[in-house]
Amino acid sequence: MSTYILKRLAISVVVLFALAAASFLLIHLVPGDPVRQMLGSGATPENIASVRSDLGLDRPMIDQFGTFMGNTFTGQFGDSITLRTPIGDLISERIGPSVLLILYGVFFALIIGVPLAVAAALRPQGFADNVIRIATTFTFAMPTFWLGLVLALIFGLQLGIFPVSGYETGVGGFFRTLTLPALTLGLSLVAMVVRTLRTQLLVVLGSEHIEAARARGLTERRVVGVHAIRNSIMTTITVISVQIGFLIGGTVVLEYVFQIPGMGTLLIDAVTNRDFPLVATITVLAGATVIVVSLITDLIQLALDPRVRLADS
Amino acid sequence: MRKLGYSVSALFAVIAAGFALAACGGGSSSSTGDTAIPKEALGNAATTIGECSADPKSGGTLVYSRRAQAQDLNPLVVSGGNGDIFVVNQIFDQLVTSNPDGGFELTPAIAESWDISDDGKTYTFHIRKGIKFSNGQPVTAEDVKFSLDRFADPKLNLILAVAAVGYEKSVVVDPQTVRVELSEPVAAFLYNISIYPASIVPKDLVLEQGDAFWDAPVGTGPFMVKKFTRGSSLTFAKNPHYWEEGKPYLDTVKFNFAEEDNSRMLDLKSGKAQMVDGVPYSQIPSVLDDDQLQLQVVEVPQFLGLWLNHQRPQMADEKVRQAMQYALNRDEIDTAIYRGVGSTPNSVLPRLKFDAPAGEVEPYPYDVEKAQTTIAESKYPDGFDITLKYPAGFEDYKQLGLYLQQAWEQIGITVKLQELDQAAVADAFYAGDYDMTFPYAQFTSDVTVPDEYANLLNDPGSGTDGFFSWWHDEPIWKKVKEFTTTIDEDTRAEQWPVIQQEMLDTSPVINVLNLPFVNAHREGVCGSKVDALGSDQLQDTWLTSAE
Repeated sequence: MSTYILKRLAISVVVLFALAAASFLLIHLVPGDPVRQMLGSGATPENIASVRSDLGLDRPMIDQFGTFMGNTFTGQFGDSITLRTPIGDLISERIGPSVLLILYGVFFALIIGVPLAVAAALRPQGFADNVIRIATTFTFAMPTFWLGLVLALIFGLQLGIFPVSGYETGVGGFFRTLTLPALTLGLSLVAMVVRTLRTQLLVVLGSEHIEAARARGLTERRVVGVHAIRNSIMTTITVISVQIGFLIGGTVVLEYVFQIPGMGTLLIDAVTNRDFPLVATITVLAGATVIVVSLITDLIQLALDPRVRLADS
Repeated sequence: MRKLGYSVSALFAVIAAGFALAACGGGSSSSTGDTAIPKEALGNAATTIGECSADPKSGGTLVYSRRAQAQDLNPLVVSGGNGDIFVVNQIFDQLVTSNPDGGFELTPAIAESWDISDDGKTYTFHIRKGIKFSNGQPVTAEDVKFSLDRFADPKLNLILAVAAVGYEKSVVVDPQTVRVELSEPVAAFLYNISIYPASIVPKDLVLEQGDAFWDAPVGTGPFMVKKFTRGSSLTFAKNPHYWEEGKPYLDTVKFNFAEEDNSRMLDLKSGKAQMVDGVPYSQIPSVLDDDQLQLQVVEVPQFLGLWLNHQRPQMADEKVRQAMQYALNRDEIDTAIYRGVGSTPNSVLPRLKFDAPAGEVEPYPYDVEKAQTTIAESKYPDGFDITLKYPAGFEDYKQLGLYLQQAWEQIGITVKLQELDQAAVADAFYAGDYDMTFPYAQFTSDVTVPDEYANLLNDPGSGTDGFFSWWHDEPIWKKVKEFTTTIDEDTRAEQWPVIQQEMLDTSPVINVLNLPFVNAHREGVCGSKVDALGSDQLQDTWLTSAE
């Protein structure tokens, strides 16, 4: 088992390295100059040249790349070009809302998705099953941007239950301001949860040990709620962890729509400003998050499912 | 069959639910589709209505959701562009300022009066008696000299060094008087020092604190920064030492950064914000339909500036450019895309001081036949292919691009549209890597006089190759040079229309339409004023709900 973990870690480092290199190269390939963006149209060519030189942007690309990689992998992320503050400070300021949004969003996906999946699986091809599958396909297909605005319009403007935008800290603030965006995120994910869990539940509910449990006289609630779910949930968790990239992308859009000062809006501003180090660093962090989440999911699976453990050894 | 029946009925159920949802989301629909709003329905809502006609009340908090966010509060850095500039204008003042009631003229601010020498090279400013910074310390001539020297220092003023043209030095005559000496007469000098880079800052604090000063800036403006949460909001508190008696009325102003158009409008409609700027053109009808909201259309020197690259032989051909002008139906563009808030220009620049009216300098009429005969006289009678670059993310630019495509097809010009994000458009613009482009999504003049852009386009010494058009006309340049160095206003009023006409005739670039700023506020907000450059005069604003 420990060789497995070590191998995974080694591969992860290589992947991260490649990701950092790719992010750096890509943002430099896109046309646009951060100094021009900062100084505006009134700047003379001399001004621009002198600022570029101060910021070290006129050094050879290999040099800049080396500095960037060094900064990223030692955790001293360097300074943002546009905001002229340490990137580390910016990230620690803005990461809170984004992490909370993702976790809250996954929570909604599960709390809505699991009961729906169970309802669908208990009477396959029934009326409820069809409604659930069609409705969740709708919410899956709806662009996150649009769905977020619709929820803000209905629950924020018309019903007045939640604020239409903004972010407040604290427990009350969390529920008031993050519920709508998290609900949007959850709804776009719910189809995946429902589909995979429903399929897995159908398989499990048809299996012999469930038949045996029923034969032993366990209540239906216990059979489904404990035994069936427990055997099915792993696929769902795997699916969600694979979607972590989608979730991170979703927060970028939702933060923009709901005016939440998180990593998503920081990234949007950085791209608009062509703030190379900030864009590349955020991308690497997002990539690292995906890698870590997927590693943790595999470890959970390893711990929970004896079949995987045995197959490995 | 039974399974199919269940699927179908389930589908219908979901669709029915969807319609029900849409119905309750309906509310006020956009009443006008293609028809323009009659001009009488629009207006700069400085007019008093209802409760606003009573006397101003002090107190309260105004929440203002804004399109551009603030990044840097140093008036010589303003890396966030307009987002920073409009914040800086609340915190700092300059010696003179644009009239808060709008219009092209300047009014005294930190300077209560000034004398100009006959040769136009010496300005003596008399500092307002008793004026203090927000920390209580008095404004002295030393502070003014320090601020102007910074403004004119090309190493510090990286963003608008051209505004300091002609500045030689400032001399402290006495604590209340500063004499500014220029190397040559600059007709627009007072205008150039009326804007953000020439903000007056306290010398001792800036020298003492360095960069840290800008985190907690001290100025003479109506408001001070109380809390700045980057990416989220900026909260201002009233400046207790503000020099206008009794003002500002508001205790607190909160700027919410709401870049997304729909989100910003939701803020206004839900009451979370009492004011917004940048109302999307497509939402103008819905604001007009809502009794609780008031639209505010403000004339500013903003225009849809279409730049043409004269390094391309087709664009260097005057007949081609004139034909392009004749083929534009500006009324249709204004009605269909801009809901009638725009106006037809009679200049290649936006509407500025000294412009002759449309009766004297005629705008290009919409005349397709004339356009076709004009292009027949050019070197490209059969037309040509060309690319138009424009910034992404703007509904109106998308529509405008499509419109221009079909308008110029009539004269044989096939336009290929290229939508790029702002930074890429800017890059191509500065590098001359474009045929035609809208270089800036929001294209405005920094001052209300033509000097800035006349110089940028014409002055070979501006270092911008005709402001990146690669156009130059020596006779016009000579007239511009004389115009910008003539001090007498009456003479300037005679000189400019000639230049205006000549530039319009040869049309080096095309002003498609003059556009205002479109803001909106809820009822209960009174005294909302915007000066001629688009800067909110929040010192005059008050709430009917204040205690």
